Amino acid sequence: MMRAFVYAAVVAAMVAFGFGVYHAAAVLKTTHREVIRPTAQSGPSLAGTVYVAQDGALYRLEGGRFTQITDNAGWTEPAVSPDGTQLAAVRRIGNYSDVYLLSTQGRVIKQLTHHSARQAEYNHWSFFPRFSADGTKVFYSYDAKDPGSYEVDLAIFSLDINTGVAVQWTEPNPYTGGDVDPIPMKDGRLLYTKYSIDEKSQVHSQLWLQAGPGTEGVALTQPEDNCASPALAPDGSTVAMICRRDQLQSADVVTETFAGDVTLSAPVVLASGRLAAAPAFAPDGHTVVFLAPVEPGGAFQLWSVPVTTTASGAAAKALTSSVGLDATSAPAWAR
Amino acid sequence: MSEISTRRVRQPYDARARNPIPSVWFIVLGFLLAGLIGLGAFFFPLLQSSTTPVVTSGGGIINPITVTGPTEPFTVLLLGSDDDSKFVQDHYNTQSMILVRIDPTSKSVTMLSIPRDLWVEMPGGGMGKISTASHDGGVEAAVAVVERDFHVHVDDYVWIGLEGLVKLVDAMGGVDLTVTNPVLDDFYPADVNTKTPYSYYRVALMPGAVHLDGVHALQYVRSRHGDLRGDFARSERQQELLLAMKDEASRLNVTSLPDLAAALNGEVKTSMSLERVRQIYSVLDQYNGSKIKRVVLVPPYTSEGWADGQSVVFPDWNAILPVVRQTFP
Repeated sequence: MMRAFVYAAVVAAMVAFGFGVYHAAAVLKTTHREVIRPTAQSGPSLAGTVYVAQDGALYRLEGGRFTQITDNAGWTEPAVSPDGTQLAAVRRIGNYSDVYLLSTQGRVIKQLTHHSARQAEYNHWSFFPRFSADGTKVFYSYDAKDPGSYEVDLAIFSLDINTGVAVQWTEPNPYTGGDVDPIPMKDGRLLYTKYSIDEKSQVHSQLWLQAGPGTEGVALTQPEDNCASPALAPDGSTVAMICRRDQLQSADVVTETFAGDVTLSAPVVLASGRLAAAPAFAPDGHTVVFLAPVEPGGAFQLWSVPVTTTASGAAAKALTSSVGLDATSAPAWAR
Repeated sequence: MSEISTRRVRQPYDARARNPIPSVWFIVLGFLLAGLIGLGAFFFPLLQSSTTPVVTSGGGIINPITVTGPTEPFTVLLLGSDDDSKFVQDHYNTQSMILVRIDPTSKSVTMLSIPRDLWVEMPGGGMGKISTASHDGGVEAAVAVVERDFHVHVDDYVWIGLEGLVKLVDAMGGVDLTVTNPVLDDFYPADVNTKTPYSYYRVALMPGAVHLDGVHALQYVRSRHGDLRGDFARSERQQELLLAMKDEASRLNVTSLPDLAAALNGEVKTSMSLERVRQIYSVLDQYNGSKIKRVVLVPPYTSEGWADGQSVVFPDWNAILPVVRQTFP
């Protein structure tokens, strides 16, 4: 009897060992970093309030705590009004997207654009909303296209929040994707990213500056630098941007200062060697936050780097570790 | 006497009965067997994929410890097809054709995208788009045409369908890459996992660094209507995705292979043995940066025009072949 019991126990141990080996192999599998909601982890304690987007929802980071302020309903690309009391954000659903005005608690105040249509090609996109300096207009990228044509390029429009009148500012290069990332400046000019394709079929992104609707713009960066995603320092003196040059799996976070009205100079690489995206300035202008994976292939985290005037600045620091932020949605940082 | 004799015969039995602990051999062999069964169960999807008919050669589980990288340069033809329900099974065109040469000595990789509309002589006679060579002759015909026209030897091929790519990228946990310019397409075919394969929907991938899942990665490499460069843009994006997948794959370890095999079961055809796959896989992270050369046969290597009532791409072989000789020696 005792012998039978011992044998049964040994066989059971063997079976358990077999299961153990199976599960050990499973545990040794490459672990794709699990993406969690921002609210599931404590955030860094930054001065002011930072708004970010993840998985169709907007989150507010304040006092080291993330708060989800909208449902997971296609929300992305938040921007803060100059007085910090309202947000403009995109809601993307299926074949279209619209810009909305929201409270800082995520409540919809007003739908600013109406782009849905029954037939796919009659829908429109709006992306990258930004408030004008006086807070009366929202600038955004919009596909003013001819339905039925294959050409779908984004042009930058401004929309009067009170009257609803939209004005086209830029003329995109055809079949390039167009103009994105509008940054209205205090002096009324517009900073943005323009795409072009050269005679060798190479795509280029450049920062452009334009004085008014329909006026001729001027390029601020060189085509080969492939700079995009501008962010303007609060005092308007410095531009942060992403420059990928000829890289595909990495990009630099760069700042340049205005030297005169239409010239940028003194480039400083604040961070490199990462797949960086979507920079934004702190309200005091001393820090830039951006999005990048912590390790290659990982989800996008919030990073910060001090703004310096020399290339030997302090190292960038990851502020989150396990979230998966929308990398095409720049953080919006308000006081 | 008989009593003594009986005791002698029964003694060993009685001793075992008194000692309930099984023999060392029983325990060692038992645990070994249990461990092997556990490993076997885990790696079963690999075994399954290696014996699935669509994997045309190779097979068998190989020792994960003794994999060494390839030592001789070799060339692989990567093929991608629309294999949704609009098409007859195994009669697919190859919408994407990328020749890849891997040189273990110089740790260099060359990718050459072949325009799908390249106007060439068909295996059965007459002229046609190179993408249609596989329609009647299968993957082997596509390989033969590439070898004949580009004067290269193709060591192996890998074919993947639409869902296969989606599953592969998802099994990797997605990929990180840079969308170089807004990818906008109002007529993107809604033909994956659908009952209405002729319908379409709108695609908008915003520029910059992104993390793409399988569906969005497929949109990125397949969309072409909104780009000035049409199919050439798509070819560039396919190469970008390959590089992103290479980076992602180099992070995987051997225990991730069963998941990949299970995801791709029936979605991939290849002439490569699992051993070669593993050899390549073991050295993926050694191929980086300037050692990766990308070639897309844009004008003046090719020119767009019309033939036989179709929009086609005419090759300038006098310009193409020197490049091929240089990059695929």
